[in-house]
Amino acid sequence: MPNPENRGAVGVARNGLDTMAERLARYLAGRSSRRSALARLGGWAAAIPAFPLLPVWRRDARAAAPAAPSPFAAKAQVKDDTKCDYWRYCAIDGNLCTTCGGGVHSCPPGTHPSPTSWIGTCFNPQDRRSYLIAYRDCCGQDACNEQNCLGMDGDLPTYRPQANNDIIWCFGTGSLLYNCSTAVIVGTAE
Amino acid sequence: MLAERRCRVARRIARSLLAATVLTAVSTFTPAHAAEPILQTEESDVVTLPPGGPHRVLVEDGVYRHSKDGRVYVVDLDTGRLLGMVQAAYNANMVADPAGKAFYVAETTWERGNRGKRHDMLAAYDPRTLEMVADIDLPGRALITPKKPDMAIGADGHYVYVYDSSPTNAVHVYDTALKSVVRTVDVPGCGLVYPWGNTGFSSICGDGSLANVQMDAKGKPTLTRTPPFFVPDRDPVFEHSPEVGANGHVWFISYSGLIYETTLGTQSSVAKPWSIQEAAGLKAASDARAPFEVTWRPGGWQLAALRARDSHLFVLMHKGTFWTHKEAGSELWELDLKTHRLVRRIPLAAHSMMVGVTQDAQSRIMLTDEAGDLVVLDGADGKPVRKIGALGDALIFTAAPGE
Repeated sequence: MPNPENRGAVGVARNGLDTMAERLARYLAGRSSRRSALARLGGWAAAIPAFPLLPVWRRDARAAAPAAPSPFAAKAQVKDDTKCDYWRYCAIDGNLCTTCGGGVHSCPPGTHPSPTSWIGTCFNPQDRRSYLIAYRDCCGQDACNEQNCLGMDGDLPTYRPQANNDIIWCFGTGSLLYNCSTAVIVGTAE
Repeated sequence: MLAERRCRVARRIARSLLAATVLTAVSTFTPAHAAEPILQTEESDVVTLPPGGPHRVLVEDGVYRHSKDGRVYVVDLDTGRLLGMVQAAYNANMVADPAGKAFYVAETTWERGNRGKRHDMLAAYDPRTLEMVADIDLPGRALITPKKPDMAIGADGHYVYVYDSSPTNAVHVYDTALKSVVRTVDVPGCGLVYPWGNTGFSSICGDGSLANVQMDAKGKPTLTRTPPFFVPDRDPVFEHSPEVGANGHVWFISYSGLIYETTLGTQSSVAKPWSIQEAAGLKAASDARAPFEVTWRPGGWQLAALRARDSHLFVLMHKGTFWTHKEAGSELWELDLKTHRLVRRIPLAAHSMMVGVTQDAQSRIMLTDEAGDLVVLDGADGKPVRKIGALGDALIFTAAPGE
C-alpha cells in the first residue's frame, strides 16, 4: 500500500507544477495573439529550409552516438569513393567499380550485378551511424583490375559464408566471372 | 658554292665509312666462319623431367589481374628455374599426391570464354611429363578466391576431395583409381576439407564446431560432430591452418594468434589453445571485443607452414589491430609446436602473403611479394638463398613433396 505521506508530497509537487504552467500560459497569452504565434511558426517553417543545419542538429542530438567501432572506421573518409579508405569499403575485397566504369552502387557497362551478396556493417564518420552495406559483385567480364582494395572489418572465413569476402558472389548472372565490387547501402544497422 | 663544297665533303666521308665497314666485316667474320661447323638440323621434342627431389615444388598463381588465366608452376628451388606449368583456370585449387605419383587441379571454364556452358573439371597430371592422366567433369565446385583446404587428398592418394558450396555445402569425392566422382557428401552448415587417414575428412562449421566424415569400404559416409571449440564472431580460426593429412593433425590458428592443436577423427579432439604472442614473451593479443589493440598478429593468405619432421611452425606476422588478418607479414615467426616456444623471428625484406616450407633436412622456406617473386630462404636459419624474380602475378599457395 502506498505511503499516504508520499502521496501528499506528490500532490504538492503536482500543484506547484500546475501553478507554474498556469502562470507561463497566462504570461504568453497576455503578450501574444494567436495571429502572431502563427506568424512566428510560419516564419520558422520558411526559414528552416534556408539553413542547411540538419546534419549539425542531428550530430548535436546524437552527441552520445558511439565512436568509430573499428580501426578502419576510425580512419575512413566520406569524400572519395575511388579510394580504399572510403567508409563503405570497410569490408570490400576486390576491384572498386567506381574505378572500372561503374559507380558505388552501379555496375560498369557490359557487366551484370549479382542478385546475391554478403552484407557488411560500416560506420559513416559523417553522421556517425552504422549502415548495412551489400557488397554486390558485377559479373560477366574478367577482373577490371584498376583500384584493388581489401577491407577486413567483420570478414570471417568461408565457413561463415554470409560474412566472407572471398566468395565469388556472382550466382545467377550467367558466367560467374568477377569484374568488380559495389557497396550498396541497404539499411541502417542500428 | 659553299653548299657544293659541303656536299663533296659529305660524299667523301660516306665513302670512307663504307670502305671501313666492309674491311671490318671481312676481317672479323671470314676466319671465324671457316672455323665454326655448320649447325645441325634438329627435331622438335618435349622435355620429360627427371625424378624430382624435395625442392621441386608446385606454386599456384591466381593471376588476380585476370583470374580466368590461373596456373600452377613447377619450380626447382635449387636452381631457381621454372620447369613447367599447367593451366589452373579461375579460382583453381590443386593438391599433390602424397607419394608424388600425380598432382590434381580443380578448375572452372566457360565454353565461350566468359560465357556459355560452365565446366567444372578435375585434371590429373603426371608430375614428370605434365601430361594429363585424367580429365573429368565435376558436379560443381566452390568458386572462392582459392584456399588450400577447398581441396584435399587422402593419405594413400586414393580419394581426392573437392569442396562445393552451391547450391549446398558438400564435398565431392573423386576416386583416383576409378577416375570418377564416386560420391557427394553433404556437410550442412560447414565448409572446407581437412583430410585424415585414407578415408576421412573434417569440415569447420559456422558455429565453431567440426563435422567429421568417415567413409566405409563402400564409400558410405558417417558424419559425427565435435562441439564448438571457438567463437567465430569473436576469434575465428584461419582456413589456411596447417595440417599433416596422414594423421589428421591440424594446428588451427585463430585471428588473434591462438593455436588449437587438433587431432581429427570420428571423435576429433582439440587441446587447450596457447598464444603465439605469449610464446614470444608478449601479452596474448586481443580478439574482436577489443579491436583497436595494436600488437603482433598472424595474417596473410597461406599464412602458416608446418615442417613436420621437427614440429616447427612458420607464421607470417605483422603489427596491427584486430581485423587485419589478411595483411601481409613483415616478419616470419618460427615456433616449436612441442614446447610452445618461439625459435626465432625472421624479419622479411619484403612483406609476404604466403609462406611454404619443404619437409627435408635442408629445408627451404618459400615467400612471395607484391611483384610476384618467389623468395627462397634457408629453413635452418632464415637466411636468403635466392629470389626467383617475377615468377608469377599473385602467388597464393605452395605444395611441397611429402607435406
